Amino acid sequence: MSTEPSRRDILRFSAQGIGAIALGELLVRDGVAQAGSVAPQATDPWPHHPAIAKRVIHIVLCGGLSQVDSFDYKPELEKRHGKSLSSDKKPDVFFGKVGLLRKSDWKFQQRGESGLWVSDLFPHLGRVADELTVIRSMVAETANHTPATFQQGTGFRLNGFPTVGSWLSFGMGCETDELPAYVVIPDARGVPAGGSINWSNGFLPARHQGVTVQSSGTPIQDIFPSQELNPQTEQASRDLLTRMNRRHLQQRGANDLLSARISSYELSRRMQRVVPEVTELAAETAATHTLYGTDAEPTASFGRSCLLARRMLERGVRYVQLFSGGAFGSPRINWDGHENMIQNHGREAARIDQPIAALLTDLRQRGMLDDTLVLFTSEFGRTPFTQSAADVVGPGRDHNEKGFSVWMAGAGLRPGMAYGQTDEIGWQSVENPVEWYDFHATLLHLLGMDHTRLTYYHNGIQRRLTNVHGKLIDGILA
Amino acid sequence: MSLWLFGLLMSLATTTLLAIESGIDQGGAELGGVDQFDRTIAPLLAKHCLGCHSGDQPQGELDLSSRARAIRGGESGAALVPGDLKHSLLWDKIESGEMPPEKDIPEPERDLLRRWIESGAAWGSDPIDPFRYSSDARAGNDWWSLQPIKRPPIPNQPTAATAIDAFVQQRLQNAGLPPSPSATPREIIRRISFDLLGLPPEPSAVTEFQIQYERDRESAITDLVERMLASKHYGERWARHWLDVARFGESQGYERDHLRNDSWHYRDWVIDAFNRDMPYDQFVRLQLAGDVIDDQAPQTITATGFLVAGPWDAVGQSLASPVMKAVVRQDEMEDYVGTIGQAFLGLTINCARCHDHKFDPITQEEYYRVAAALAGVHHGSRQVSSAENRRRVKELADQIREQQDAVAALDATVRDQLIARRSDSEIDLPPRIAPIARWEFRDDLNDTIGGVPATAHAPARIADGRLILDSGGGIARTESLDIDLREKTLEAWVKLDNLQQTGGAAMSIHGDDGRTFDAIVYAERESQQWMAGSDLFKRTQSFSAPAETQADQQFVHVAITWAADGSITGYRNGEPYGVAYQAESPLHFEAGTWYVMFGLRCQPAGPERQLSGLLETAQLYDRALSPDQVKASYVQEQLSLTHDQIIAAMTSAQLAQRESLLASIEHLQSERQRHRPYTVYAVKPKPPEPTHLLARGNPGQPIRAVAPGGIAAVTGVKADFAVGQDANDADRRGALADWIANDQNPLLSRVIVNRIWHHHFGSGLVNTPNDFGFSGGHPSHPELLDYLAAELVDNGFRLKHIHRLIVTSETYLQSSRPREDGLAIDGDNRLLWRKSPQRLDAETLRDTILAVSGELNRQFGGPPYRDFTTFVSNSQFYEMVDIDSPDVYRRTLYRTWIRSGRNHMLDVFDCPDPSTTAPKRSVTTTPLQALTLMNNSFVLRMADRFASRVQWESDDQITEPPGAVLERIYRLAYGRSPADDERATATEFIESHGLSAYCRVILNSNEFIYVD
Repeated sequence: MSTEPSRRDILRFSAQGIGAIALGELLVRDGVAQAGSVAPQATDPWPHHPAIAKRVIHIVLCGGLSQVDSFDYKPELEKRHGKSLSSDKKPDVFFGKVGLLRKSDWKFQQRGESGLWVSDLFPHLGRVADELTVIRSMVAETANHTPATFQQGTGFRLNGFPTVGSWLSFGMGCETDELPAYVVIPDARGVPAGGSINWSNGFLPARHQGVTVQSSGTPIQDIFPSQELNPQTEQASRDLLTRMNRRHLQQRGANDLLSARISSYELSRRMQRVVPEVTELAAETAATHTLYGTDAEPTASFGRSCLLARRMLERGVRYVQLFSGGAFGSPRINWDGHENMIQNHGREAARIDQPIAALLTDLRQRGMLDDTLVLFTSEFGRTPFTQSAADVVGPGRDHNEKGFSVWMAGAGLRPGMAYGQTDEIGWQSVENPVEWYDFHATLLHLLGMDHTRLTYYHNGIQRRLTNVHGKLIDGILA
Repeated sequence: MSLWLFGLLMSLATTTLLAIESGIDQGGAELGGVDQFDRTIAPLLAKHCLGCHSGDQPQGELDLSSRARAIRGGESGAALVPGDLKHSLLWDKIESGEMPPEKDIPEPERDLLRRWIESGAAWGSDPIDPFRYSSDARAGNDWWSLQPIKRPPIPNQPTAATAIDAFVQQRLQNAGLPPSPSATPREIIRRISFDLLGLPPEPSAVTEFQIQYERDRESAITDLVERMLASKHYGERWARHWLDVARFGESQGYERDHLRNDSWHYRDWVIDAFNRDMPYDQFVRLQLAGDVIDDQAPQTITATGFLVAGPWDAVGQSLASPVMKAVVRQDEMEDYVGTIGQAFLGLTINCARCHDHKFDPITQEEYYRVAAALAGVHHGSRQVSSAENRRRVKELADQIREQQDAVAALDATVRDQLIARRSDSEIDLPPRIAPIARWEFRDDLNDTIGGVPATAHAPARIADGRLILDSGGGIARTESLDIDLREKTLEAWVKLDNLQQTGGAAMSIHGDDGRTFDAIVYAERESQQWMAGSDLFKRTQSFSAPAETQADQQFVHVAITWAADGSITGYRNGEPYGVAYQAESPLHFEAGTWYVMFGLRCQPAGPERQLSGLLETAQLYDRALSPDQVKASYVQEQLSLTHDQIIAAMTSAQLAQRESLLASIEHLQSERQRHRPYTVYAVKPKPPEPTHLLARGNPGQPIRAVAPGGIAAVTGVKADFAVGQDANDADRRGALADWIANDQNPLLSRVIVNRIWHHHFGSGLVNTPNDFGFSGGHPSHPELLDYLAAELVDNGFRLKHIHRLIVTSETYLQSSRPREDGLAIDGDNRLLWRKSPQRLDAETLRDTILAVSGELNRQFGGPPYRDFTTFVSNSQFYEMVDIDSPDVYRRTLYRTWIRSGRNHMLDVFDCPDPSTTAPKRSVTTTPLQALTLMNNSFVLRMADRFASRVQWESDDQITEPPGAVLERIYRLAYGRSPADDERATATEFIESHGLSAYCRVILNSNEFIYVD
């Protein structure tokens, strides 16, 4: 009997579900020199139907972006500025304070050929408005940040479920075996509330967890030895390890797990070569840096993140999660504009507006937008009335889960459109309300997956990203 | 059986109808009989129709669950006309494809329904019990795992050494596979050591075992197993397995993720339970209802830490909106119900929160019955103390009080002398009462009497002997005070930034529960008034005093007393302030559960609760001062005698007396500290709210109230708890524990013996340890499972008995080497023709690295180590750090398992997210693991320590052929000597690259990380 199983054996072995071996890793041993891919782990083979999009950049705005100040233009709100909400029912808002209605602090304009309304909060995004597919009728289940953020990321309000990126890694595998399928770039000011829970694999195998990559400093934890080692020693150590492991394998006969471990060391060596290359932003032209704003404040940090995200996608990463904003606390480092919208949203938007517009422009120029999706979401929106005493137009807005805006851009979408409607003051979704389940179902659809078929057995249930819900948002599909 | 039906059945391989027995008329003239209907037609109706057309509010008012109602029909008229297909609306809708919506009924099933109507629509159980029989779509009441345990006869297998071997070999024989030969003694001792203790055997133990093994294999193994089962490391190893199931985390999760400093007591309780071999039924009972069984014993309360080991949405609890709050509570209930169902019963009861279980015989109502049994359960820190300790603490408190009074009296004497000397006029002062805490804000925030430390939150700060409280959010708070407080007086010298501000507090006594407080509040309800602020104004009334007009110009003295009779009296500048009033009796703040805040009225912080001004002095008394006593305090403070001045005026005799009193107080206090109650994170029950069956799980749509109860489909135990809808928490949880931890409950023992099997073999007899329902696995060896379950019950639920049976079986002791015939026939090794090799799990890997490097700190139990730094800014944040200290070189089990800060190294080796119950771990192989083991600073440091250790322990020099050193490395890491070729390779490598580099390779090697 041969000591190492054939690839066919491995496939059989894997199909029977013992352990999780990245098949791509085993290709290395078969002498395939260039980067391999990592096969999906889901049993129902991907794609379920032809995939329009192959990869995703997900920009997550922490804290709650105000729809009425950004993408949901409401002339009626402008008229009723300073009036009270003429609603019989007292709104059930997070902090329980319902002030007077407040118009947008930023002027709205129709942009581009599409005439999409985008406010001056995002002037750069306004210039690429024809790329955007805005959903103005999002509805979340809770106005509590973290459960709402979990739902945005996992479909569930609770801790312990896999995030979108983990599902994609599990369901689609990765186009490269030299980089993780699922990369997370936190805001340089800090990680979001809940930290790594926001890129947790939940109950999926640990290899589907998001890997955080820093846009400066050591990009990936433990990618290189924590202390300086002589390169000859490093090479000799790896050679000795392989030799010892092969000897050990020989004595034990066919053992896929042992061979997979040997391959994983070879692969890790390749990651050590590729990661520094891909994170080396200096390789980009000066024009590109200027486009992304990496050379100026306040865009430098997020500009680097966007540029890094694009480079990751080029090298085959499946899903990059980019955070705008960190956890809750004082001073605010996210979009949670309870106290003062002008200061808060003004500051946050200035950090990301130009870089994201640059990202869209760049992806378009490179032809990548044809099979890439860019998502721009926030866990909920903000109230059209202010968070203040009942007879005051306060400076801040409370959480609003009843109606808010997100956008997508890229492959398979109808660009330059707005889908759904909130009421005349931009408070509650009234036309084509969209839940996260629908958003996720549509995302999976564009990626070639039927959301009811991407499942993983866990404690009694074939779990899905969309729980038992989810319908395609047909109106935004090209 | 009729031929047509037989043909039909054969074509139904993938659909519902598994078992149709004979008894049907030739030609299908009637498809009838109660049993027949229940087995064939009822499941079809249940699967396709009853989801909408049954229950309290059937769609279209059509209820298809009973024959009469089906015939009567709904809004659109009669649905079923027996024998008349044409006039049966039911058939019409099915045939047209209109029903069921968005789904087609497969042709064979449709055909069966047609024939059934044509043949007269004979009915069976009425109304339909969709749970009666299992089908290929779902489990019914006859599902295997729900049936009573019957001790099976042991198969006659002459070559089988033990009962387990007989069951296993019987199946192997049927598959034509022989078992594998025994593993080597080295493999056996390593296997058992890792399995039972989670640590590698010491090299000397390996040698001794090998010798004994050659002499007498059986006794060598038995001795080894007994020794290991008696080791306290056994409890550490198996507690970790249980903590996975318990979703044990030590922080709240969600947004805030605050640390639970007192949840480790539960972890220690689990370790102790395993080590003492606590009967499993008792183990379960205590975790469900320990505090109900005995609410005085620390251990029983600690056990309930199981129920609240999961995440908890702190923000959700304090939501303003009752609707959102109700959703949060329902999510919390699902966590409890889901975890107890899966952990103890292998039932996914949580799947029935919004509708009847899709696959198992669990109704939605039953979900809410189980939830009702847990309706009194809430998260919290609970103070525990033994009766003896409680008595002693009280005794000590009295003694301390006595001596403190003596110090105060001594000080008062000197003070009075000083005052008398200073003032010409005779001041007639009543004796001054000593406060229990006093803050002078001179150099720090510490109380000058009890030394309780406090922290200022920026921008609050101390300057010129005053605490400056800005409007920008600055407050100060103390640590918890270890004093029981009922009666009390709060006293503060305060100056306000302005008189128009509202709602802030000079000083507040705040409970750990985050709600209760008593405070000196300025202008909360009435402008320019001091008042006694309290939670929900429970103890707050107006003093109806004149408006405050001076406090922005000068410091004013404000005091409020809360007397035992409930009267509350205010004072300003030493004089009564307005009118005293009567309130409910004062709150009882238990020792260790409250703290003092300055500036903030109550939690959470917010500008509307914030005082803007200065504090000069503040005092707290554990009694309600009389008017004279308040006046004395005011006047004396006015005279402004500092502590230092008083001390300076003492005679040496007085000083000596004072010193000796203080020393004695300190001594008593430290003794009290040792006996003091401590808190444990556990169930903190509240009177249960009514539980309702909720339409689609929506708290806004209650259907009817339900009483606590169990799942009817579980045989042997009564699902009716005979506990009313208004029962108290103790009765509810007591009944639940009786139902679950019952030797007649067949799931209790089946589920736990399977878990034990799972951890010994890497895969359970049922390979979904948390799910014994339809979606879970079928047992590979059903009789063996029942044999083990029966053994457990008959041996007093002692888990060590099951370990003994397993690890002394030849099945377990087999070689792990693959065989061609085995791989070909049973690649998964479900039949156990060999022992599957196991990769060390994350914790064992780290523990083993520490052990071989000589760095493992075997400190047993106690507070966890921290591999992070942390700070709180609203939420709590954790930053992982690699600390080189024996304090963190404890077994990984003792890590602080926070939810948002996961440890990178443990994570990549498949340590699960502690937010959800994890019955088994995935075993993955990834390049990130390779990078971590090669490069992580901890691993590299351990390689260095490993190298120094072996060098130090061996006399040999590394410049010589590294004989002894190498021997030691191999024995520690692999439990064997190096072979000649290995020796040669190693020597060459070590000469060029050093011993540390070599040890790093060893720690990365497959032989190190895989157990044969």
